[in-house]
Amino acid sequence: MPPSFLEQSRRSALEVYEREPLPTWRRSGFWTTTVRNLRLDELEPRHHDPVASVEELPEVAREALAGDELAGLVVQRGASTVHTTLDPALAEQGVVFCSLERAIEEHPELVARWYMKRLSADEGKFSAAAAAFWTGGAFLHVPAEVRVERPFQVVYVIDEPGTAQYAHTLAVVGQFAECSLREYCLAPDLEGQALHAGAFELYCQTGAQVKLAHVQDWGSGEVYDISTKRVEIGRDAHCGWVPIHLGGHLTKQQLDIVTAEQGSDMRHTGLYFTEGQEHLDLFTTDLHEQGDTTGDTVWKGALTGDSRASYEGLIHIVEGAQNTHTYLQTHSMLLSPKAKADAIPSLIVQTDNVSASHGGTVGEVDEELVFYMMTRGISRPDAVRVLVEGYFEPVVQRLDDPSLEALVRARIAAKLSAAEQQVAAYAAER
Amino acid sequence: MSLEIQNLHVSTDDREILHGVDLSVAKGETHALMGPNGSGKSTLANTIMGNPAYQVTEGRILLNGEDVTEAEPDERARAGLFLAFQYPATIPGVSVANFLRTAVNAGRDEPIKVKDFGALLRENMELLKMDPAFNKRYLNEGFSGGEKKRAEILQLAMLRPQIAVLDETDSGLDIDALRVVSDGVNALRGPDLGTLIITHYTRILRYVRPDFVHIMLDGRIVREGGADLADQLEEQGYDFIREEVSAADAS
Repeated sequence: MPPSFLEQSRRSALEVYEREPLPTWRRSGFWTTTVRNLRLDELEPRHHDPVASVEELPEVAREALAGDELAGLVVQRGASTVHTTLDPALAEQGVVFCSLERAIEEHPELVARWYMKRLSADEGKFSAAAAAFWTGGAFLHVPAEVRVERPFQVVYVIDEPGTAQYAHTLAVVGQFAECSLREYCLAPDLEGQALHAGAFELYCQTGAQVKLAHVQDWGSGEVYDISTKRVEIGRDAHCGWVPIHLGGHLTKQQLDIVTAEQGSDMRHTGLYFTEGQEHLDLFTTDLHEQGDTTGDTVWKGALTGDSRASYEGLIHIVEGAQNTHTYLQTHSMLLSPKAKADAIPSLIVQTDNVSASHGGTVGEVDEELVFYMMTRGISRPDAVRVLVEGYFEPVVQRLDDPSLEALVRARIAAKLSAAEQQVAAYAAER
Repeated sequence: MSLEIQNLHVSTDDREILHGVDLSVAKGETHALMGPNGSGKSTLANTIMGNPAYQVTEGRILLNGEDVTEAEPDERARAGLFLAFQYPATIPGVSVANFLRTAVNAGRDEPIKVKDFGALLRENMELLKMDPAFNKRYLNEGFSGGEKKRAEILQLAMLRPQIAVLDETDSGLDIDALRVVSDGVNALRGPDLGTLIITHYTRILRYVRPDFVHIMLDGRIVREGGADLADQLEEQGYDFIREEVSAADAS
C-alpha cells in the first residue's frame, strides 16, 4: 500500500495528464518543437526481470559501465529496476541508494520530505505523465558529513522499441556531505519509437559539495526524451553540474538550478552533439532566490547533418537577491550547411547591486586554424576533429571524472568520424 | 632536397602582391629574406605553404623538383616544408603535447610510442629552455609573444622538416627571448635543414648568420648577396636600396 503522499501526488498528476493536450513548444516565430509524430498510444511500459550482475545487463549499459569503480549502481530497464548495488560500508554510514519504489517502502518519511519539492505535475502533459506513471526510479540520500569519492550511478536503459519509460530520480545530499552522482540515459540504435519522460531532482543541503553528471545517448532510433531536471543548492553549498547530450531523436528538456540560500554556488557546464535528423530543445534557468550567490553557466554544442539544436538560457535574479554574481555563455558550432542552431541567452534581474552577464555565439570551424594545423602535416579531417575535440575539451574536463571523460571523448570522436565526409564537403563548399 | 621558387606571381583579394619572385633554398643553406613592411615577405611565406587566401597567378613552386604549386598545405608539410608563423594561431582546448603528437603522427605510418614521444618532447623542450609545464597548456592560449615563437621553434624541432621558413620569428621578442630562439635555430641548423629566415630587422642575423641574403621591395627581389649585404643594410637602411633601385629603373 503506497503512502498517501504518493497516492495523492499520482492522482492529481493523472488529472493534469488527462486534461492537458499534447504540447507544442513555440518560440519566436520559427522555432517549434512538436511531438505530433509520436504515436503515444502505441507505447507502453515494458517490464523486465532483475539480473544478478552487470554482465547480464543490456550491452549498451554494460559498455558504458565497463571498468568503473562505483559507490553504488541503480539500473532501470524499461519500467523495471533490474539491478542495484551499494557499497555495504556506505550503507553502514546511513547512505541510502536504491530504486525510488523501494525507498518509499523503506524510508517513507525521508522521501516524503523531499519528493517533488521543486517539481510539479502542473508543468505540462509529460511532467504530469512522469509524476503519475513513474515506476522503478532512483533514490539517493547521503547523510550529513558523509563524504563519498566514488560516483553513485543511475542508468535508465530503453532497449526495445515501443517502450514508454517514466522515470524519477530523487537525490538528497545532507549538510556538509560530499558526493558525485551520474545519471545515464542510454539506448541502442532502436528500430522504432520509444519515450523517456523523466523527472530529476537534487537537493544539496547546507555546505554540501556535489558533482552531478547527466549523459544522454539514445542512439539513432526514434527516442523522444521530454524531461525536467532541477537542482536546489542550499546555504554555502556547491554543485557542479555537467549535462552531456550525445543523441536522441527529439529531446525537450528543462534544466534548472536554484541557488536558494546565501552563499550557494553553482557551475553548470553543458555539451551537446547532434547529428542526422535529431532535434534538441533545451531551456536552462539559473535562478537566484537569495543574495550572495554565484553562478557560472557555459553550454557548448556542435551540429552535423540536418540536425537542429536550440539552447535558451535564462538568468533570473529575484527581488532582494543582492550581491549575486553570475554569467552565462553559449556557443554552437555548425559542421553542416543544413544544421540549424539557435542560442538565446536572456536575463531577468529584479534587484540592484548584482553582476550578471550573458553571451552567445553560433559559428563554424575556423579555416585559419585548419590551415595552421595543415601546415604541420595534419590532414583536413584530422584538423577538424582535433579542433572540435579541443572546442569541447574545457567542458569535458569539468566532469572531473577520468572514466566518464574518456567515455565522452570516445563518443564525440566516433560521431566526428561518422560525419567526416559531410564536414569535409561543407568546408570545401565555403 | 631543395625549394625552388620560379617567377612567382601572387594575388590576394584581386591585387597582385608578388610580381615574379625567383628564389632557391637548398638543404644545408641558411637564407635571409629581408624587406620593409608591406614588401610581400609574408605573402611569399604563406604562398610557399599553400595558404588558400593567396592565389598563384603565374610561376611555380618546386620541392625536390616536384611541382607543389597546387598541393594542399598538409601535403607540403609531409613532403618536408615547414613555416614558423609570424602570428601563430591559438588552438583552444588542444594542449601543446596533444597538438605535437597529432602533428608527429601525421608524418608517420605507425603512431609514435607514447614513451618515445615523451622523450623526444622533453629533449626538444630542454633545447629551447622551456618549462615542462608548458606542454600541458592549450597551444598559444594566453602565451606571451616570446612563448608563441618558442612554441613555433619547438614544432620545428619536433617535426624535423627539410626546409623551414621562419616568418618574422624575431619580431616582438626581447633580447633574451631572441637569444633562446636563435640558439634553438642554430642547434637545428646543419646539413639536413635548409632555412629561409624572413625578417624586417637585421638583429636575428647577428645570432643566426645567413649564407645568402635576398632583399625584397614591392613584391620583387631586388638585391642578393652574402651576409655582408645584411650588414650594409643595417648601416644604411632600406632607403639606400630603394634609391638604387629607382635610379636603375629610371636609366
